[in-house]
Amino acid sequence: MPPLHIGLLGAGGIARAHLPGWLELGARVSVHTQDGSAEKLAAEYAARGHDITAVPALDDLLAPCRAVDICTPTPTHKDLARAAIAAGRHVVCEKPLALTVADAEDIAAAADAAGVRLHPAHVVRYFPAYAAMRDAVVRGELGPLAVLRFTRGGARPQWAPWFADPAQSGGVIMDLMVHDIDIARWVAGDVVRVHAQTRGIEHATGAPADVVTATAVLTHASGAVSHVSGLWGLPDQQFRTTFRIAGADGLLRHDSTAVPGFRITAQGERAANEGIPSSPMTESPYLTELREFAASWDDPAVRPRVSARDGIEAVRVARAAVESSRTGRAVELTPAPTAGHAAPAPADPAQHAGHAGPADNEESAR
Amino acid sequence: MKVAVLSFAHVHAAAYLTLLRDLPGVEVIGSDPDSALNALAAPGETRGRAFAEGHGVPYVDTYEEAFAWGPDAVIVCSENARHRPLVELAAAHRVDVLCEKPLATTVADGEAMVAACRAAGVRLAVAFPVRFSPAYAAVKRAVAAGDTGRVLTVSGANNGHMPTRTRRWFADPELAGGGALMDHTVHIADLLDDLFAARAVEVYAQTNNLLYEGEVTAETSGLVTVVYDNGTVATIDCSWSHPRSHPAWGGLELTLVGEHATLEMDAFDQKVHGHSERHGRALELSFGVDLDAAMLRAFLYGPGADGMEVADGAGGLRTLRIVAAGYASARTGVPVAVAG
Repeated sequence: MPPLHIGLLGAGGIARAHLPGWLELGARVSVHTQDGSAEKLAAEYAARGHDITAVPALDDLLAPCRAVDICTPTPTHKDLARAAIAAGRHVVCEKPLALTVADAEDIAAAADAAGVRLHPAHVVRYFPAYAAMRDAVVRGELGPLAVLRFTRGGARPQWAPWFADPAQSGGVIMDLMVHDIDIARWVAGDVVRVHAQTRGIEHATGAPADVVTATAVLTHASGAVSHVSGLWGLPDQQFRTTFRIAGADGLLRHDSTAVPGFRITAQGERAANEGIPSSPMTESPYLTELREFAASWDDPAVRPRVSARDGIEAVRVARAAVESSRTGRAVELTPAPTAGHAAPAPADPAQHAGHAGPADNEESAR
Repeated sequence: MKVAVLSFAHVHAAAYLTLLRDLPGVEVIGSDPDSALNALAAPGETRGRAFAEGHGVPYVDTYEEAFAWGPDAVIVCSENARHRPLVELAAAHRVDVLCEKPLATTVADGEAMVAACRAAGVRLAVAFPVRFSPAYAAVKRAVAAGDTGRVLTVSGANNGHMPTRTRRWFADPELAGGGALMDHTVHIADLLDDLFAARAVEVYAQTNNLLYEGEVTAETSGLVTVVYDNGTVATIDCSWSHPRSHPAWGGLELTLVGEHATLEMDAFDQKVHGHSERHGRALELSFGVDLDAAMLRAFLYGPGADGMEVADGAGGLRTLRIVAAGYASARTGVPVAVAG
């Protein structure tokens, strides 16, 4: 069997999180960008002996590969996905799938029509603590869920200017909170009502970065309610995610900063990111995710835990939150009929692989 | 100083009786005549004379006797819907009164209580002990000093056991005025009332009774979003979502995101944690400040070194208006303006 050939679009932060996963899976990787960063990324990894090449044209990337992994700014997702689908390639696409429900549905419909897979990369479903929590919910450990809370916060992204422009990233709700919106849906089922408020400065590139934060209340079809909050914070805001899931029969809570597994408690005068290197305590969730996606291309029995429909619904709920935040009203939602998981389906056995214990990864989902 | 505790309906009555009994210079009596009317009592619910004697406090059979004793102050611990007649009785006898939270179950009752005390010239205070937490004091100092800048959002959680095991009326909408939304929204609403010179303008709330479904009719879970006129938006989880078998009753946590700093407080996290083989469960040893004691001292003797005052009736009424708007929002599914 020839090696898996992946076409990687983009060479920014998230491409750098995905690339080691593909290489670990034995893939040959072609990478393409329009700003020369693909050549730099390819050279860096090729020098370490990896099978990676930068290709100057999109068509050169599409021709030989089996699947395309879209790790570019959100507004480019639709055109790139359509091009990959037209070439008959499976598509892995970073979240959010698109900035509008119409665009997300357009991508999914095109993939359906072409008979290729579309995998929205909602990686938090592959973070071991979240997967363990969801497994427990599906097992019925907590009984019927009643009230859920999710937080996600870190320093405001400064490494790429498009994050600061809501027209491109969708702002803190579409880009950051969408992770936990997806998890809330995954755990407690479809969302029928959304109310959200955003505070702080959405358009910001200043130094120091301005804080922007959003809070949303989701009402699920089951009657359960979720509080989701997202924060693009001050430069020293440690990246941190938390959840608290309460059901009639129990409670689960998690704080990513409370259970690092390994801590450096002193190292003289070196700054926190110098000196003793830290290493992930569990497998990269990106690797887990990409392995599951790739496995589904050869074995139709493998159904990845995140579907194209999930990607669309995450965009639908996030858009509703943006609209609510703008108008001050609660937004009623009718999920697409095919979306009808009012409660989580039994977990796919594939998701139990490699989840040894509580951990967060250095390359946390931002 | 003479203090009478009127009614033992509220779970806090035990703590007040004990704390007052042990305060030097304070004489305390209790009276709980309505306990005979309490058809709702949980099995083994102790009330009345036996309850007072169990806490080593003298007992009188009627409220009239309690007022005839000449108290300098009274503490009202009746069911939420029965606060008003006792507060009005205190006003009629011109005795300062500390009323359990929430102030009342309806805004109309709350307004009448505030008016009666104002007309009689007596002090009406409302029992919000968490504002005496040193953790809250640290938050307040940071906000007051400008260290946080403008506060953008607050995420608060006041979760606890459903309190019906010892006092069943807490989940009876008639006597309690509701369930978790009535019981637990007001503590955080009071902190924010104290923290900001701002008024709540709009409330969005969603509730369910998926916890203890079939056991109680009141809502047991709720998320309440409050928008203030200074632009701050607060979301409060008021659910009774703390498992019954958990060694702790619950807790109160706040995260404040400001322009210049993000702060977190936990009013009850100062505990030594362990595990008891004897009890077959986790063991928690709280070593934090006794907030009820700090509140009682401030009510009886005025603010301590930190300057914190007991919440007054007007503040209690403001938090009640937030709850009332919350119920209206939960019924209709849309944000509701706060009246007043």
